[in-house]
Amino acid sequence: MSVATRTAAAPMPPQPNREDIEATWNYLQAGITKIMVNLQDGMDMTTYMGIYTAVHNFCTSQKAVGLGTTAGVGQAHRGAHLLGEDLYKKLKEYLNDHLAGLYQESKAHADEALLAFYIREWDRYTIAAKYIHHLFRYLNRHWVKREMDEGKKHTHDVYTLHLFQWRTQFFAEVHEKVMGSVLTLVEKQRNGETIEHGQIKQVVDSFVSLGLDDNDASKSTLEIYRFHFEKPFLEATKLFYQKESKQFVSENSVVEYMKKAEARLNEEEERVRMYLHPDIASPLKKTCHGALIADHSALLRDEFQVLLDNDREDDMARMYNLLSRIPDGLDPLRIKFEAHVRNAGLAAVAKVASDAEKLEPKVYVEALLETHTQYQGLVKRAFNDEPEFTRSLDNACREFVNRNDICKANSSKSPELLAKYTDVLLRKSAAGVEEAELDATLTQIMTVFKYIEDKDVFQKFYSRMLARRLVHSSSSSDDAETSMISKLKEACGFEYTNKLQRMFQDMQISKDLNTGFREHTKGLQSVKQPLDSTYSILGTSFWPLTPPNTTFNPPAEVQTDLERFTLFYKNKHEGRKLTWLWQLCKGEVKAGYCKASKTPYTFQVSVYQMAILLMFNDKDVHSYEEILQVTSLTNEVLDSALGILCRAKVLIMKPDGDKPGKNKTFHLNFDFKSKKIRVNLNINTKTDTKQEEADTNKNIEEDRQLVLQSAIVRIMKARKKMKHSQLVGECINQIKSRFVPKVGDIKKCIEILLDKEYLERLEDDEIGYLA
Amino acid sequence: MSENNGPIMVTLQSNDMQQIQVEKAIVERSMLIKNMLDDLGDGVIGQTIPIPNVTEPVLRKVIEWCEHHRGDPPSTNEDESDNRKKTTDIEEWDQKFMQVDQEMLFEIILASNYLDIKPLLDVGCKTVANMIKGKSPEEIRKTFNITNDFTAEEEEQIRRENEWAEDR
Repeated sequence: MSVATRTAAAPMPPQPNREDIEATWNYLQAGITKIMVNLQDGMDMTTYMGIYTAVHNFCTSQKAVGLGTTAGVGQAHRGAHLLGEDLYKKLKEYLNDHLAGLYQESKAHADEALLAFYIREWDRYTIAAKYIHHLFRYLNRHWVKREMDEGKKHTHDVYTLHLFQWRTQFFAEVHEKVMGSVLTLVEKQRNGETIEHGQIKQVVDSFVSLGLDDNDASKSTLEIYRFHFEKPFLEATKLFYQKESKQFVSENSVVEYMKKAEARLNEEEERVRMYLHPDIASPLKKTCHGALIADHSALLRDEFQVLLDNDREDDMARMYNLLSRIPDGLDPLRIKFEAHVRNAGLAAVAKVASDAEKLEPKVYVEALLETHTQYQGLVKRAFNDEPEFTRSLDNACREFVNRNDICKANSSKSPELLAKYTDVLLRKSAAGVEEAELDATLTQIMTVFKYIEDKDVFQKFYSRMLARRLVHSSSSSDDAETSMISKLKEACGFEYTNKLQRMFQDMQISKDLNTGFREHTKGLQSVKQPLDSTYSILGTSFWPLTPPNTTFNPPAEVQTDLERFTLFYKNKHEGRKLTWLWQLCKGEVKAGYCKASKTPYTFQVSVYQMAILLMFNDKDVHSYEEILQVTSLTNEVLDSALGILCRAKVLIMKPDGDKPGKNKTFHLNFDFKSKKIRVNLNINTKTDTKQEEADTNKNIEEDRQLVLQSAIVRIMKARKKMKHSQLVGECINQIKSRFVPKVGDIKKCIEILLDKEYLERLEDDEIGYLA
Repeated sequence: MSENNGPIMVTLQSNDMQQIQVEKAIVERSMLIKNMLDDLGDGVIGQTIPIPNVTEPVLRKVIEWCEHHRGDPPSTNEDESDNRKKTTDIEEWDQKFMQVDQEMLFEIILASNYLDIKPLLDVGCKTVANMIKGKSPEEIRKTFNITNDFTAEEEEQIRRENEWAEDR
């Protein structure tokens, strides 16, 4: 079969004798040639039916004469014998000839022309194959089916036969050259030229179609395509990008390179969509990532610090996007990010920490928050809100919240300042804060709170300040208080806020109690009511309050009411002991003696001051010793109470001096003047607050010991026996949500418990529990 | 294929040059004709389709069957055809349809094989199978008018080889 013959549109020979293979084949060959070469001229039904009928007749002829020797005697055992092998062989030979001709022709073409040739011939061949497949259907249905049922691997249905022959006779010869042309074309496109990419798509489809499973032709595999297309394609891609990126990097900045790489990656994705097989998507991506990102990852990472320092969010997002594509690409970024955030936090604190003593809680907490907010925003916007980056952020925040310039001296400074800031927010203040705004700020406080390691310190300070707010009813709003407590509860659990909630309850109960008491006194008509009093009954174990550090003899007016209340209360709750916290009591007295004002001044005073002032109802002058004796206060307490009264010029001390003391007398000042009618004399002195802080801190240390000991006992009770080191580890685990215990402290507590014989030392460094 | 103009008709021509008009959808039960019409495209619809291997009476018979079974779901599924193979049950209409003389029966079988109408081929073969079922070799020979050309030895050998299939 030569080129010349194939181009001739020979008329169909006459219908052959059904038993003559030569005649039949001659007839078929003419028909097949028509289909292979001249299908564009169309085909009529007579020819179509003729060919089909010729195949059918040959296969159903009683005895075939001619070439076939295998069909006959040897196959008697198959039962009915099927003819067809001769036809099949002839067809195969014909295809081989045709393909050899194509190969010769292909030599004349190169590059795009070769692609065009390949595609044209492929299309023509496969369309013809479909026709011939149908025309030889009778052969397929019987002879081929039988051969395949019998497991003959090298017999295929007619269409598959076409593909196999194409693959072995033509494709095997030209695929390298074809692929070379494809790659040239793709490189042209990568260099910015416009190409006819439909051609490549068709080549891909052809390669994919040739993926026939040798064992089961009904299954297609991508092996041929993978080996002959994907592999060279990926190799060329790798080389191209290695070369390009190397050059680009040497001539441009890293940021420019990232943009370039991003664009290239998108291009390649687009390329897959446009004309490649989806199967290549993943390996192509991998190849590109390798050449464009992994090969330059060190360079990119080095740039990261620069971007961080300059807040180049977009570029960081770009870098994240690139490095997230390669394995372990982001870890180094996270490490740098964490260090950077920590340093930023420390720097922010250092900036406000110039004077640690005078540091405003608000300024400090805001410094912490600002750093957190800034980098949380970065994580969200540039790092896709990725959990790993959030973790790095958290680590960094925990670090700079708990260990910074302010905390150098005392690690509990952070929770203390945070609690104080909360107090500032929750206390009544002149500058009213919008409720929504307040809640937002409280939420921010919780952000910092999360990072605080010594949560117990916060709890201590918070409960103290809450107590103060409640006792002095100086909370700005109950809602805000409740909301804060529920936030804490959410973060640390019921136990953490239990006492805080009980304090609230006590206040409520007290309110009801006072109403009851007022009703009660109204009923007692015999009694004159000298005092408009309110009592708060606070459960000792919930409130962080201590009894007064002075003796006190309340004034008679107070005493009477107090006794009546005590009686009333004991009546209701038998067996309860009331301890009066005088240092927290306050009241108002009216001064009707002042000449300067017609309306009497009202002094807001502590109960100590009240006791002193009430003495002046009897006499205008009292000596220090007299007052000391009547009030029975200690010198320090009395001195500070008198000090304030003198400074406010309610009393005049004679002889004049710095401090009240022995041999001084105090005169009521009838010329007292004030711009306000209500004068607040109940002022806490600086030393008081200082003292309170110190007390709180001391308290914390003691409490921690107890917490540690009870944790140890709990663990040992459950485990009975445990290695010393394990016990320490477990203990840290249990405690760490409240504070970070020191190993030394735990060891000390174990010693204490050993001494108390809760525990015993066993052999081999083990500790045992003694019930 | 517009519905307004009614169904598309094609013309078949039997080997004795008789032309028969049939609805395209019906005649496409034949895989041969269906493939051909698909391959050659709409351009050939007007042409007469030569059926060189089938005579007019047989072709009409085949078309009758196709018309009756026009609504059948296409049964190309392998499992289904396996099932169908195993049973010799034939639906009532088909049984009646096959009540023809033996010559016609074989013509139908040959035609359905040639035209590639598998369900009809199956029905035909089953009909023949039912004619054989339960009969002795001698009865079968009589039914199909076959002369016994086996020697006694050959017959004995065949019986031995097929002993496993005997009904006992």
